[in-house]
Amino acid sequence: MAGKSGRTISNTPSGGLKEKIVSLEGALVLALIAVNILGACLSPTYNFTNIMRESPRYLAEIFMLFGMGFILVLGDIDISVGAIVCLSATVGCLSSNAGMPIGLVILITLATGLVCGMINGFIATQFTELPTMIITLGTQIIFRGIAEVALGSGGSASMNDIAGIGVLRVKVGPFPISFFLVILFAAHFITALSRTTFGRKLYAIGSSKTAAYYAGVEVQKIRFFCYSLLGFLAGMCGMFLLASTYGANTTTGQGFEMEVIAMCVFGGIATTGGKGNLVGAFIASFIIVCLRIALGQINMNTQLILVIIGAMLITSVLIPAFREKFWKKKA
Amino acid sequence: MKNKNSLLKKITGSREASLVIVLIVLLVVISIMSPSFLSPSNIGQIFRNNALTLLMALGMLCVMLTSGIDISITSTLAFTGMSIGLLQKYDVIHNTLLLFAIGTLIGLICGTINGLIIAKGKVAPIICTMGFMYIWRGMAYVISNNNWASGADVAGFSDFGKDGAIGPYVILTVAYIVFFVMMKWTKFGRSIYAVGSNVEAARISGINVERTIISAYSIMGMLAGIAGVLSVSIYASAQPNMQYGKEMDVIAACVIGGVSMSGGRGSVVGTFLGAIIIAVIAKALPLVGIDAIAQNLVKGAIILFVVVLNVITQRTMDKQALMRREM
Repeated sequence: MAGKSGRTISNTPSGGLKEKIVSLEGALVLALIAVNILGACLSPTYNFTNIMRESPRYLAEIFMLFGMGFILVLGDIDISVGAIVCLSATVGCLSSNAGMPIGLVILITLATGLVCGMINGFIATQFTELPTMIITLGTQIIFRGIAEVALGSGGSASMNDIAGIGVLRVKVGPFPISFFLVILFAAHFITALSRTTFGRKLYAIGSSKTAAYYAGVEVQKIRFFCYSLLGFLAGMCGMFLLASTYGANTTTGQGFEMEVIAMCVFGGIATTGGKGNLVGAFIASFIIVCLRIALGQINMNTQLILVIIGAMLITSVLIPAFREKFWKKKA
Repeated sequence: MKNKNSLLKKITGSREASLVIVLIVLLVVISIMSPSFLSPSNIGQIFRNNALTLLMALGMLCVMLTSGIDISITSTLAFTGMSIGLLQKYDVIHNTLLLFAIGTLIGLICGTINGLIIAKGKVAPIICTMGFMYIWRGMAYVISNNNWASGADVAGFSDFGKDGAIGPYVILTVAYIVFFVMMKWTKFGRSIYAVGSNVEAARISGINVERTIISAYSIMGMLAGIAGVLSVSIYASAQPNMQYGKEMDVIAACVIGGVSMSGGRGSVVGTFLGAIIIAVIAKALPLVGIDAIAQNLVKGAIILFVVVLNVITQRTMDKQALMRREM
């Protein structure tokens, strides 16, 4: 996807309509349409109202997509997001049950996520020798461990004050409020990544940390910021999850890290860093959400759905390798 | 004087020696608090209860030496264990040896798929194994079809690993001896180290890098398969959610044992000591008044502490080496 100047960091498709359709984003839009047709064929209840009714739980996950996209473009990874969601939902639920007003509960939930992200970021920037995978592997166990301790022996907590959290369930027409927030966030972060200096710096770091450092990019500061951002967004996911499930347990957010990474990878963001953009990832996230809703409606086993998503993840990461092989043979 | 100095340096510089010291200190402190801790039966229990971690840590050592990671192992374990459990539940096979062979084969296939995708497809190990973590775990649920094999179903088979049987100990001893010899003195073992230290150098010196990486993941899968069969035998049951999340214990054992996340560094002895230290700590937590519920928290903290400590010691060592050169 090299641009006209030959720079590989130019990731937005340029050129005519034909080029736009054969681009990855075009293919993803087609896939999204295909998934929706499939859903309509599989399930008689697969329609707009039902999708919107079931969407809040899935929309919550999409918030993390933007932060994870940034982290992957940087060439890092964060597998602790599921645990952060769990911890922030737990903290939010318990603080609400302790009688705090809803405004404060929301603040505390978001702050929990932010602090977790900052811890990740702090360790990742202070000990740059460590692969971020092992750092977040460790913090993942710790964050979920804290939630386990806080939830006590029962392993779950449910909210007493359901009316309060209703603020987050407000609907505008058929759309839940989180839908508008997701769109707003998407517009903001997509522009930030593809159209601002900040975004270009992320690609520079992802392509080569050393080169970016010598070019004057404040590498560690940006990495810290991105981890904090992802933590904050995971807190946001925890908050909306709390609003749609009225509670938290030790398995809340389990597997979210894979789903979010899968959304990014489907959307063409390379896990090696420096490649891909959020437009693709954003479309891909809706493909997964629609697929999950459709399969959920025909009462497919949740574990089987995870098998399908896992298989899709593997296939999509294999595509670049296959394509390379194919092109080489041709040439 | 010089001799003494080098001996001291040997002890402080060697990962294994410092791990032994940590282990001895731990054991002394714990046995003061609870004298029955070091009884032979209790030690036997520790090995039996952690046989799966101990076994899979060997495979994880191979994988991590090639600078990879495999977080799909407990899912492979569950898939294998579930298959073995169901084969007995529906009275297809009851022969212990045959069941072990089948389990090993299933694990081997799972591992080889991982290896092929990572080596040939150039996919990041964490992404590939994360996908398979969900695939194999989900497959375990799908084949179980909401059933699970209970103690009565696996009655004859569980004699192999039941309390007091020597089965698990035999497997562990054989595996550790084989791996100790293989990693230290065989061409294959050394090529794993070579690939992990420097891929390019390994390739230029004629090592088939791809094949080495595939083999490492195959070995990992094979051990996870054996662990799956062993788990059915030890716990006398098979459920789809068995050993959920325990891959972290295996990785933790390796990390504490001094296996480097960036590859090329680590040993069988270190891995063994790391696994034992984790097991002892887990066993000792209730003794010092920490709830079982906080175990994960403590485990995570230990992992993070150890990896950070590794970095700090490495930094000071580098600094000292630099100073000595300047002198």
